[in-house]
Amino acid sequence: MAGILGEQSGAFVGLLAVAAGIIGFVWGLTRIGVEYKARDTVERIVMGVLILCSTIAILTTAGIVLSLVFETGHFFQKYSWTDFFFGTNWTPRFQGNSDLGILPLLWGTLYISFIALLVAVPIGMFAAIYMSEYASKRVRGIAKPAIEVLAGIPTIVYGLFALITVGPMLRDYFAQPLGLGQSGASVLTAGLVMGIMLIPFVSSLSDDIINAVPQSLRDGALGLGSTPSETIKQVVLPAALPGIVGAVLLAASRAIGETMIVVLGAGAAARMSLNPFEAMTTITVKIVSQLTGDNDFSAPETLVAFALGLTLFVITLALNIVALYIVRKYREQYE
Amino acid sequence: MTDLPMPADASRDATKSSLLVADARTRKRNAAEKRFRSYGAAAIGVALVALVVLLSSIIGGGAGAFRQTYLSIPVALDADVLDPKGNRDPAEMSKVLTLSYGRVLDAAVDTAVADGGIEIEGLSDKDIGGLISKEASAQLRDRVLADPELLGTTVETNVLVNGRVDGYFKGRVTMESAEADGNTSPQQLMLAEELKERGMLVTRFNWDFVTNPDASDQRPEAAGVGVAILGSLYMMLVVLFLAVPIGVAASIYLEEFAPKNRWTDVIEVNISNLAAVPSIVFGILGLAAFINFAGLPQSAPIVGGLVLTLMTLPTIIISTRAALKAVPPSIRDAALGVGASKMQSVFHHVLPLAMPGILTGTIIGLAQALGETAPLLLIGMVAFVREFPAAPPEGLFDPASALPVQVYNWTQRADPAFIERASGAIIVLLAFLLCMNVLAIVLRRRFERRW
Amino acid sequence: MYDTNRMENAVGQDDIKISARKVQVFYGDKHAIKDVDVDILDKTVTAFIGPSGCGKSTFLRCINRMNDTIPIARIQGEIRLDGEDIYDKRVDPVQLRARVGMVFQKPNPFPKSIYDNVAYGPRIHGLSRNRAELDEIVERSLRGAALWNEVKDRLQEPGTGLSGGQQQRLCIARAVATSPEVLLMDEPCSALDPIATGQVEELIEQLRQEFSVVIVTHSMQQAARVSQKTAFFHLGNLVEYGDTDDIFTKPQDSRTEAYISGRIG
Repeated sequence: MAGILGEQSGAFVGLLAVAAGIIGFVWGLTRIGVEYKARDTVERIVMGVLILCSTIAILTTAGIVLSLVFETGHFFQKYSWTDFFFGTNWTPRFQGNSDLGILPLLWGTLYISFIALLVAVPIGMFAAIYMSEYASKRVRGIAKPAIEVLAGIPTIVYGLFALITVGPMLRDYFAQPLGLGQSGASVLTAGLVMGIMLIPFVSSLSDDIINAVPQSLRDGALGLGSTPSETIKQVVLPAALPGIVGAVLLAASRAIGETMIVVLGAGAAARMSLNPFEAMTTITVKIVSQLTGDNDFSAPETLVAFALGLTLFVITLALNIVALYIVRKYREQYE
Repeated sequence: MTDLPMPADASRDATKSSLLVADARTRKRNAAEKRFRSYGAAAIGVALVALVVLLSSIIGGGAGAFRQTYLSIPVALDADVLDPKGNRDPAEMSKVLTLSYGRVLDAAVDTAVADGGIEIEGLSDKDIGGLISKEASAQLRDRVLADPELLGTTVETNVLVNGRVDGYFKGRVTMESAEADGNTSPQQLMLAEELKERGMLVTRFNWDFVTNPDASDQRPEAAGVGVAILGSLYMMLVVLFLAVPIGVAASIYLEEFAPKNRWTDVIEVNISNLAAVPSIVFGILGLAAFINFAGLPQSAPIVGGLVLTLMTLPTIIISTRAALKAVPPSIRDAALGVGASKMQSVFHHVLPLAMPGILTGTIIGLAQALGETAPLLLIGMVAFVREFPAAPPEGLFDPASALPVQVYNWTQRADPAFIERASGAIIVLLAFLLCMNVLAIVLRRRFERRW
Repeated sequence: MYDTNRMENAVGQDDIKISARKVQVFYGDKHAIKDVDVDILDKTVTAFIGPSGCGKSTFLRCINRMNDTIPIARIQGEIRLDGEDIYDKRVDPVQLRARVGMVFQKPNPFPKSIYDNVAYGPRIHGLSRNRAELDEIVERSLRGAALWNEVKDRLQEPGTGLSGGQQQRLCIARAVATSPEVLLMDEPCSALDPIATGQVEELIEQLRQEFSVVIVTHSMQQAARVSQKTAFFHLGNLVEYGDTDDIFTKPQDSRTEAYISGRIG
């Protein structure tokens, strides 16, 4: 435990050291011109500062892992890990004796992410295909930046959009007439809006991947008398498949880690249901709700957020590593 | 990738037919082609429609926040009530509570109604008094304390009108909804209508929305994003002063000096993975490391800035490295060739040339940080803050809000008037983002490749 | 070899398969092909030779309208296949390309199995009624491309796993499987080693029993070995067109002579 504390302070001391380093670095720069002989010494110091800065990323990761693992350890001293990972009930109580099972949260997270991908992957891919294979220069010149604007909009904006526009619309025109639910916040609301958010992400990744397929393959298919769509469906996409799988995994990792859209659009009720018009909740929503307000860092109800965070971190990291690996292998194939 | 059907009619004699006539199979395939193409066009259409609906719903909903209804009435500042000791000493006068000013204002509205000869059936005193915002009395108090000579005179005053009445003029509140609402009544709305006809009630541009601090649950009409803008600004300053130097230094090392070994590989993989870590995890890091461990205060821009710095670093490192990579090696060789050290060639020649690219990446990283919400929730930025933080550097440790968090905060309030405020805050946020992106584009255009 | 060529020249050479008149091609502002007139015969190997950048590949790509895929390319003039203008508005390039197949410079097998590579064309054009027929087409095409014996036991393995020469023969099999009337080959041996080149050249000789073959090559020896007719392109112009023997032994134009004797190229 002492070691863990030491590491954490290390991260902070590192930051201070960098601040000091920057001052030294500026000082060093002025010295280079004035005292030529000092060049070697100064350069050695500057190099040290550069190396230090490049390790900040490692320190950040270490900080994340340590703070998550450390507090999760506390949590599991107070709450059984089997109940956490296999519990199907999420009912935190102020007076203690809470049920803190992750499964309903995981279900909500995966269900919403699935709907988001169902929206984003076809739209993003078709948009990318249209822009790279069909669109005229003018259409591309308008559509591409417009879709990129979607990527630049902060997630809180999407969250508000879910809350005030998409949620009520789905409730009034679908959920209530069909008798499927009464709530504006729902899996579908959050999933749809998150899907819109992911469109530019999927389309720009797909664009890169489709463009990496060599022109000679397209020529081969067209030369045999394929229509452009047959070329895309039967030659380009199968060739690009690994890259596309990687892109979808990256998008899934984004969806799973997304917070503001689900906080405002999905609801707070932990539930395991198939009805997409019902409000459900996610891991990220519960991290926010357990860690905002007055925190008592000895209560399992607060500490559970760290266990949730660690689970989230592990899932997204695994998805990213696999996705980046697949994409890299794919790129190498055509380089 | 299903196999295409193989109909019997299409055999190799088909190829013997004229080129000028499309055979049945070709027609079918061309129809499939057209369908596929239209899916693509539809996908782009859906994305564009989503963008338009998103922006128009936010801008449509938030435009109202920039207009506010005011009542301009003469207010007789009764010296006996507001300065019981009669010595015009602000210190003494500050003992008079806001409540008394409320009474003075109520009387003024009563007089205005009576003078205007407005008679509405069932209009109660509560309706008349409730017409003006609870914030108005505090504003009047501030004004009198600043200028005690006003006492005893009658001053023309612009007072904020209650959020419900304001909502009525913006279409959010209707006579029907007022019927069921305990905070307003159809009579009150009719009164407002009468006053508007007499020109006493006006809805006009509301600059206060941008400069005012947040207001409590009961007075959405007074809430503004002033503190949030300042908080966001402070955090951006922290990010700018930490993330940019560290990010650039790290990029220079990795791109120009780092040997190709295990350790640098680890750093590389680390950076690309860090870029994909969910933002909320950075919030947990901030809470555990900066607040619980290092003991920095909650809700402080310095903590928000540190968290955003760590989040933005990968973005800045990735774009800076791309900018450095784009500088042709010939420039480095030229510098080395005249006897500069490797370090000098980088700092004197490569870095200045890569600067536009670095700036563009930095601005985009800052824009990302400006819109980030989730991690800030965990470090207490969501608290209700009415006081403006002091000037930096001390102000960095004062509690403040941030624009996106203010939006979240307002969505959690009961009064629907706050939704309008939230959308309005987003318009402010988007305006900032737009400016930053335009700046990035201008920089890129301006300095695009000079070699 | 010249002797055999001359003997075979007698076979059905009178049929004009493709006739081009006043063909012009522009790439943006660049005038890539100028006023090309040529008649390409059925059941004949016609070679296009000339220094690189002379327009021979560009002209080849006009014959099955592959230039349509390049947005900045513009084509004027007319090219007739069996008397029908292939640039007529009513002509669907997809239908045209089924009749005029193409083999490219670099072997470009699809990332599919060997079988699926060959079956690709028949499938999209609906040339078989059932699996057995498709199997038969695949086998016939692979035999036609002299590849059957090498791959018959591993038809389900990816086509990209073959050697360069095998890959190019696979691409030829793929083109042949569609039963085209004309086979265009754009420097099909430039990426191959001498042994693989020999195999492909042998194959071309067989292919002309069934098709009209047009081959672009920058190797004069190759043109002399495989073709009966040769067209010499220079700076976008068709300088000389005639029997291969004549072009190589008594060229009419000084530029042709300069090229074949190695002074330009």
